[in-house]
Amino acid sequence: MRAPALAGTGTLVRFALRRDRVRLAVWVAVGAGLTAQQSLGSQAFYDTPEALAAYRASVGSNAATIALAGPPVGLDTVAGAVAFEISFTLVLVAALMAMSTTIRHTRADEEAGRTELVRAARVGRHAPLLAGVGLAALGCAAIAVAIGAAGVATGLPAGGSFLLGASVGTAGLVFAAVSAVAAQVSGSARAAYGIVLAVFGVAFAVRAVGDIEGDGVSWLSPIGWAQATHPYSDDRWWPLLLGLAGTGVLLAGARALLDRRDLGAGVMSPRPGAASASRLLGSPWGLAGRLHRGALLGWAGGLVALGAVYGSIAGSVQTLLGDNPAAETFLPALSTAGLVDAYLGVTLGMVVLTTGAYAVSAALRARTEESAGRAEPVLATATSRPAWLGSHAAVALLGSTAVLVAAGTVMGLSAAAATGDPALTGRVLAATLAHLPDVWVFAAVATVLVGVLPRAASATAWGWVAYVVVVTLFAESLDWPSWVDDLSPLAWTPAGPGEPWAAGPSIVLAAVALGLLATGLAGFRRRDLATG
Amino acid sequence: MRTLRGMTSAISVTGLVKTFGATRALDGLDLEVTTGEVHGFLGPNGSGKSTTIRVLLGLLRADTGRVRLLGGDPWADAVALHRRLAYVPGDVTLWPGITGGEAIDLLGRLQGGLDPARRIELLERFDLDPRKKARTYSKGNRQKVALVAALASDAELFVLDEPTSGLDPLMEAVFRDEVRGLRAEGRTVLLSSHILAEAEALCDRVSIIRHGRTVQSGSLAELRHLTRTSITAETARPVTGLDALPGVHDLAGGDGRVRFDVDAEALDAAVRHLSGFGIRALTSAPPTLEELFLRHYGEELAEEQLPEAVRS
Ligand SMILES: Nc1ncnc2c1ncn2[C@@H]1O[C@H](COP(=O)(O)OP(=O)(O)OP(=O)(O)O)[C@@H](O)[C@H]1O
Ligand SMILES: [Mg+2]
Repeated sequence: MRAPALAGTGTLVRFALRRDRVRLAVWVAVGAGLTAQQSLGSQAFYDTPEALAAYRASVGSNAATIALAGPPVGLDTVAGAVAFEISFTLVLVAALMAMSTTIRHTRADEEAGRTELVRAARVGRHAPLLAGVGLAALGCAAIAVAIGAAGVATGLPAGGSFLLGASVGTAGLVFAAVSAVAAQVSGSARAAYGIVLAVFGVAFAVRAVGDIEGDGVSWLSPIGWAQATHPYSDDRWWPLLLGLAGTGVLLAGARALLDRRDLGAGVMSPRPGAASASRLLGSPWGLAGRLHRGALLGWAGGLVALGAVYGSIAGSVQTLLGDNPAAETFLPALSTAGLVDAYLGVTLGMVVLTTGAYAVSAALRARTEESAGRAEPVLATATSRPAWLGSHAAVALLGSTAVLVAAGTVMGLSAAAATGDPALTGRVLAATLAHLPDVWVFAAVATVLVGVLPRAASATAWGWVAYVVVVTLFAESLDWPSWVDDLSPLAWTPAGPGEPWAAGPSIVLAAVALGLLATGLAGFRRRDLATG
Repeated sequence: MRTLRGMTSAISVTGLVKTFGATRALDGLDLEVTTGEVHGFLGPNGSGKSTTIRVLLGLLRADTGRVRLLGGDPWADAVALHRRLAYVPGDVTLWPGITGGEAIDLLGRLQGGLDPARRIELLERFDLDPRKKARTYSKGNRQKVALVAALASDAELFVLDEPTSGLDPLMEAVFRDEVRGLRAEGRTVLLSSHILAEAEALCDRVSIIRHGRTVQSGSLAELRHLTRTSITAETARPVTGLDALPGVHDLAGGDGRVRFDVDAEALDAAVRHLSGFGIRALTSAPPTLEELFLRHYGEELAEEQLPEAVRS
């Protein structure tokens, strides 16, 4: 006998699998592809013991790499280096997959009214939640197996490869459970995504600090649990139990919340709002400001926090270098100050990419509005097409500018405090300002896609973001042809405070952004409104 | 098509074609709406009503055909024209975090300003709580938000796409009352619907479309010429010879009672024929748009259903 609250789960999972088979296959292929790519690249790169030793020495003293990648363990084998380099990216992929799958089939469906239709059939109260998490779990299992297979196929030890896959899959499972809780707490899918991303950011920051300080704080982070398995070196399976236990606790919490709330509602009961609009809400600009307010504040808070964490780690860069005299033999050109600059350059790159992701999501909000049918009543008023799309593009541009400047300022301040070098504040801020045209290009790429290719805009824009992220993280270390790199705006901008800035590339980037924006606005003026 | 001598036309569409890939949503549609009239725009699901309205609002671009709205080109002059019209979409979606009252103000201000006194009056008449967030409104209440925003504006032309879908009968009555008010003020209304009673109650003229093409257009009186009146009569003597009259259909009865449908032009002859048998009671049901609709689509519906019938 099955519990009535779970009735229909099987049918829902099958249906969800049908809806998502392409999506999930893409996520799994990305996981396997990244693994294979890293494995082949590292094996070609560190083909001699000397090369591997040099790598080990440089990584052991490079706080930026540790902050981004994870604990520097198992670096005495190429396989261990592969796990070190790729594990965090794989965890990110699995977490995003788990988050989008879980929320898509729970809160997003509920918000769209589809859950109501489903629940009216012979479907139990817990079934939609379990089906969403179940599908995400299937995805996590698939990605785990695919990573293991990709490792084995490219010549890495089988045990370590499948442990790496299992670690990544388990981390994905934890974030599926986090998403399940977020989907209960918040009344909208958009806010639920925000909650999960914020939790991921905190988990990342906790383990970055813990791994650099080496003080065990990483055990508080689910990402830390996944990396504590040390594939290819210690090959520990027991940390997976932490992930499974965490998943269980979170799912029990999600279930308890689900039992306490009404269909369609969040945990908080809605309060009545304003009976009439404030003076601001009377123009397309006012509307865009209102619609973007929450997301802008959320991203700004997250990025400022990230900047603060990255900046505060700068102090440890010096300490690490002092602990690792071998580094100086391999990196003679770098002074301590040079290493701090290099570290700040890499981490600032992460802040810029994340701000770029915000710019894309803000610009794509226009498309969400359009496909949901909310552009139609506005464009049937005396609001022009350029004003409407321009209002969303303006938020994307101004919002990402404000977010990046705030994050860069805080990062510089906290780096200056951590290293005791007050000049860093200004230098980091200057390097941040040099990156502004990059994030404008992000906003402009998404806007031109909304204007010209509405139905493909979201997938294309995020595909391009993924491309830029991969290029920024891997192009240099994997020796790709230079044109691959040239398609990313970050390649044209000095990475950090150590590098010289030239006006030329920045002006070109700004002009490219302007051209794309103009094309997007013109394209939107010329095309049909595409609802649905 | 009727000539409109001495009247200006608020909407004039001829030969409008709109395709979506392989779908031909509008296939040479004609529509003429005179200034100051309430014009019914009728057609079954998927016939192209909403698509036509979106072309009229410049939200979709016509493939071919001539479209004029308030004397302008709805695609090129969209912003200027939109100041003079108000629109209620067929499927009202509102912003999740914004209250109904805020949405009304926003849409009103974007259109060019709304009358605060009218806003209060309409909120009261439609019994709408403006403080609720859009997510917590029922379908009918979302519809009311769009209606209040449109009706509180000072537009010349009201474009209403199935405005009463989701309204309860009480609210429907309020809506009808409001539309009559608009007509009394000399405003023009284009009202799409498949609720025929609504069109009958409100419209001066109607256009009926099917498969993206206008199949019938004119005043209700004109259209009724095309329809049949149902007659039921009790007579002193059994009626004979009625089936020989031209224009009489579906004759049934006996024992001093007959029931039949008769074409408008044969009505006089039929009643005269009946009176020869001593009429005791006579009821005549005026033709409804429902019948008109069924007769227009009936043959095609019958054709479409035939294969199924053969199969089963
Ligand atoms: N964006 C689109 N892409 C493809 N087909 C479309 C699109 N919009 C409308 N159609 C098609 O055009 C036809 C007319 O649709 P429309 O929405 O105008 O009908 P309607 O008369 O308003 O129907 P209803 O009474 O159901 O509202 C339908 O066959 C519909 O499927
Ligand atoms: Mg419609």
